Amino acid sequence: MGKRRQSVRLVGLALALALVAAACGGGGDEGSSGGNQQTAPEKGGVLRTAISDFGFTNGFDPTGEYVAVAFTLYGALTRTLMATKHIADAAGNEIFPDLAADAPEISSDGLKYTFKLKPNIKWGPPLDRNITSKDVAYAFQRINTAPLVAQYGFYYFGVIKGMDGKAKSPDTPISGIETPDDQTIIFNLEKPTGDFLQRLGMAATAPIPEEVAKCFKKAGDYGRYVISSGPYMLQGSDKLDISSCDSMKPIAGFDPSKSITLVRNPNYDQATDNLRGNYVDGISMKIDTNIDDIFSQVEAGTLDSSVSDQPPKPVLQKYLTDQNLKPNLHSNSGDRTWYITMNWITPPFDDIHVRKAANWIMDKQGILQAWGGTTFGDIATHNLPPIVLADKLGSDYNPYGTEGNRGDEAKAKEEMKQSKYDTNKDGVCDGAACSNLVMINRNVTPWTDAEAVVVASLKKIGISVKPRELASSAAYTTIQTVKNKIPIALNAGWGKDYADPYAFVGALFDGRSIIATGNTNYPLIGLTSEQASQFGVSIPSGVTIPSVDADVDACQKIPNTDADQRNQCFADLDKKLMEEAVPWVPYLWAKNITVTGKTVTKFEFDQFSGYLSVTQMAVNNKETIS
Amino acid sequence: MWRYIVRRLLWVVVVLLVVTSITYVVFFVMPSTDPAVTFAGKNPTPEQIEEVRRNFGLDKPVPIQYLTFIKHVFFGDQYGWPGLGFSYSTRSPVKDQFFDRVLVTAQLAVGAALVWLAIGIPIGIISAIRRRTLTDRLSMGIALFFVAAPVFWLGLMGLWLFWFKLRWSPGTGYVAWDQSFTDWLSHMILPWIVLAMLYAAFYARMTRGNLIETMGQDYIRTARVKGLTERKVIFKHGLRASLTPVVTLIGLDLGALLGGAVITETVFNLQGIGQWAVASVFQGDLPVVLAVTVVVAIAVTMMNLIVDIVYAYLDPRVRYN
Amino acid sequence: MSQPALEEQFEPTAGDTVAAARARSSWELFRHRFRQDKAAMAGAIILVILALLALAAPLFAKITGHGPNDLFADEMLTADIGLPKGPNSKFWFGGDSVGRDVFVRTMYGARTSLTVALVATGVAALIGVSLGMIAGYRGGKTDTFISRLIDIVLSMPILLLAIGLASVCSISPNGCLGGLLQPGLSLVIAIIALFTWPNMARLVRGQALGLREREFVEAARSLGARSPRIMFKELLPNLLAPIVVYATLLIPSNILFEAALSFLGVGVPQSTPSWGRMLSDAAAGQIFTVAWWMMLFPGLFLLATTLSFNLVGDGLRDALGPSER
Repeated sequence: MGKRRQSVRLVGLALALALVAAACGGGGDEGSSGGNQQTAPEKGGVLRTAISDFGFTNGFDPTGEYVAVAFTLYGALTRTLMATKHIADAAGNEIFPDLAADAPEISSDGLKYTFKLKPNIKWGPPLDRNITSKDVAYAFQRINTAPLVAQYGFYYFGVIKGMDGKAKSPDTPISGIETPDDQTIIFNLEKPTGDFLQRLGMAATAPIPEEVAKCFKKAGDYGRYVISSGPYMLQGSDKLDISSCDSMKPIAGFDPSKSITLVRNPNYDQATDNLRGNYVDGISMKIDTNIDDIFSQVEAGTLDSSVSDQPPKPVLQKYLTDQNLKPNLHSNSGDRTWYITMNWITPPFDDIHVRKAANWIMDKQGILQAWGGTTFGDIATHNLPPIVLADKLGSDYNPYGTEGNRGDEAKAKEEMKQSKYDTNKDGVCDGAACSNLVMINRNVTPWTDAEAVVVASLKKIGISVKPRELASSAAYTTIQTVKNKIPIALNAGWGKDYADPYAFVGALFDGRSIIATGNTNYPLIGLTSEQASQFGVSIPSGVTIPSVDADVDACQKIPNTDADQRNQCFADLDKKLMEEAVPWVPYLWAKNITVTGKTVTKFEFDQFSGYLSVTQMAVNNKETIS
Repeated sequence: MWRYIVRRLLWVVVVLLVVTSITYVVFFVMPSTDPAVTFAGKNPTPEQIEEVRRNFGLDKPVPIQYLTFIKHVFFGDQYGWPGLGFSYSTRSPVKDQFFDRVLVTAQLAVGAALVWLAIGIPIGIISAIRRRTLTDRLSMGIALFFVAAPVFWLGLMGLWLFWFKLRWSPGTGYVAWDQSFTDWLSHMILPWIVLAMLYAAFYARMTRGNLIETMGQDYIRTARVKGLTERKVIFKHGLRASLTPVVTLIGLDLGALLGGAVITETVFNLQGIGQWAVASVFQGDLPVVLAVTVVVAIAVTMMNLIVDIVYAYLDPRVRYN
Repeated sequence: MSQPALEEQFEPTAGDTVAAARARSSWELFRHRFRQDKAAMAGAIILVILALLALAAPLFAKITGHGPNDLFADEMLTADIGLPKGPNSKFWFGGDSVGRDVFVRTMYGARTSLTVALVATGVAALIGVSLGMIAGYRGGKTDTFISRLIDIVLSMPILLLAIGLASVCSISPNGCLGGLLQPGLSLVIAIIALFTWPNMARLVRGQALGLREREFVEAARSLGARSPRIMFKELLPNLLAPIVVYATLLIPSNILFEAALSFLGVGVPQSTPSWGRMLSDAAAGQIFTVAWWMMLFPGLFLLATTLSFNLVGDGLRDALGPSER
């Protein structure tokens, strides 16, 4: 769950780039990922991909959608005030003006952001007019509308003045957003928000045309009618009849159970865009539930690339051992941590020594092997992925490091002896609290394989768990319901929404984020007794729940422009969490694997969405979309 | 006769109502998790969850939801007739995907049925005629093997041998026949055979048993005495009597299969309604589960009804039971 | 799935000594016939072997030094991406995708399959026989009600509801029905029993319907015996043979049902080895293409078990019935 983030160097770099862009005029630049590189990637062809399931949570309606695959496509379909270049690694997490002509004018108290839009950026068909600041404001009004369930709304409610997520209709204007003319938009904030520019890169803030969207009042409905503000449009957009709400039929290019197809937006002007390469003429993503088939098609050449499906081990084996195939296997940082979460109000995990012992005993190498080895990721030594902290903690920081990452029984037992749950001080958890603990897990590989490793590790310190394997969404829903008091879970992972540590910390470790259902602060860090009674749970007697809320606030005060200090602050917080709070046993920093075919002449990874970058890749197939 | 049919039709409706209400209870009442939360995104506010619940129609009391559902099935909803609601996952009408899915399952079921009839019945007949010979023992032995073997194991073994090792089969998955007839055929052959083997074995054993029993009857002896050739005796008299129960059984089996040959569809990754329903259960996409349950229940009970009508037509005693 | 046709008639018993004399000769007749049936004997022998293997599973774990849930990643998984390694002298059936001993797990799997089969079938038989007898003997409204109940259960999409029940009961930490049903073995047994009793009931009902008009029942009734006594002392002994035959043939069907549920991921939990679950592990990510042993051995054992039960069941039916097969 969750998406992107990262650190940002802002004003100076943005200005410099704007100057450079103005001077050079168009054409994004390649990132650093593998694949054949040419000086000028050839244009044309269709990027043909397949995915086992879109997994859209809001029907592809940008206002509410939060699935990463959607963001891969939104990068081609929409433009936002600020955007990344959709390339790999740290460079791919930097944010630049996209619809905005320049970096914004920010008031000295950090509460007022003034943007000027680039002139003459047109909507895609069937519309025939320029994008205005009112279209951008309308997108925010939709976010603010309760029935539309903006799943990232919490990044704006209480941040932008007048946005509380309770509006009944998107026609309600927001007091904190001013549009004095068609080219200007001003945001007034409630409090200084260091990562506000990053939040303006989210697809929900992309402009939306009122004349089309006003017909779609329920969450998800607009998803089949998305009008393009970017270099590509949904195939068949030009045929959309917008004369009345009744005359509109879903755009042919998106069939939620079959495929999504994008073609070039004829109204798009490359000269206004220095972030995207836009080499291919079309992008197609088909649903193919047969994962093995996806990879054989890529190998055969009938598909150009996989998307989010990870290759099964036999396929991986083939690609790792065949020298001809190996360059086509791309492994990029997913900016995501997979972890075991421990509930601070359920014994025995209410005792910090037990939690530390769990960190010492865990056979992380075994879990990595279950996943498929280093191609799939690196063993996690602390909570936030290194790239998210801009490596501030350093690669040597491994507070619970053990030989070969197999776990250290001696150290774990030493730790356990200090716990109240080891009554005879033999280093093993004894007593009723140590057994029959429900452990939630997913019901697919590699989690089911990893489960065996975790169960065996915990057994060594006397903790016996009862694994419950559920489908991914059910697994999440179960641990997100505070009342369920799930002691320990293996299914959880967290990836950035945007490139800033706060996108991790806020939802995962801040006590004020705890809610009754849909809660992502699984350990319940910072839970107060008022909250406890509100949610129908109780804090065990004799247990104090520490909170890091103050640390979070301190770090949030530091603006993005001071990236170094900001990242260092969050890195220190991660250290404190690992050593003094111990909410999790982090075990993997995932890599996302993309397998490309021989027709791909330029591969690029989109660090923002975590999958392939459709606006920066090039192919040499001569396919067309009819 | 008509009274019988009408009575049975009414019974079909009753069965449907009971089955769907049980399904409703299992999926909507029993779970302790709220489906709305699954689809409300991350960190949903309670208001957002409420909105999703309203969108999904989950804010009304369960009995009202159930009655609305029944009303929609019979009279249609905003997406047309029959009103099967909209899928939580794709947020598009269930009806739209339904036909494609049923088509795949139908292709699997009918194709397999043709195969198993073509294999099973002749083998059964031959075994009955050549009773206690090596042919008989061998074929009944093989039949026993296939009756006992689990379908998913046969499927996996089939894949391993014909796809992985011999490269004769293109592997799992489904290709629509209008997209490429040869691809469609090559993908369906292995699932057809695997599914058919079980039923072929069963039908072979049954045909053999029935034919042997029929051949022991008096009227067969009479026919023989009358001077008919053995071949005529078997094919004209023996088969008709022994195949009648087989024919009705085909109806029942097809009805059940159309309910979704879940295991076969899962192993071979065919997008039929069985696989769809199972995936939807795991995803929490309840409208799909309900829709499939309704259709399956209808298919099974209608098939039972047809079979019973045929029986009643043939045997008047049954009608007055 | 397999519907044995059981129209065999039995000599009714009336009076204990006569019954004993008759029973003795029937019994000997049966034993003689069964012994003659080579296939049935083979099936019986295999079953005995399987039962012994199941009982000896902990012994095998001790001999090899590998428990069913012990991981041997270093020995049995390749270092780089963790592919399982095949049979060798220490791991007779090879390793699985997390490095467990497939042989030991297969032996333990026998326990699961046999337990589930016997208990689930037992419960299903209990329900089915009781309801069938009551329906067949009482007739009238009781019969109609029970028959309708049978029809309803048979019309339900069993696999779907089983999956639904299993996943619903897995979600809440305390299982369902107030903690009575925990996900795992007991839930699987309950579900299987819940859905497989109807055919048994139908069979028993049919037999009971035929038997209730017989003289010996008439006699018992006129002597003042009440219904339960009649059902248990007069009807049941005569129904025993078809019940036993059907139950024996129901067992393999239930074994496959459990295996199917485990294959789909809603059967027994991972810590309880189950052949169906092992086959599902083999299918995951198509790992069986590089680890054929994960698929072959559990499958063969599953096949052997179901085959043997079928052979024995067929043999019982032939031995107990008079007609020429």
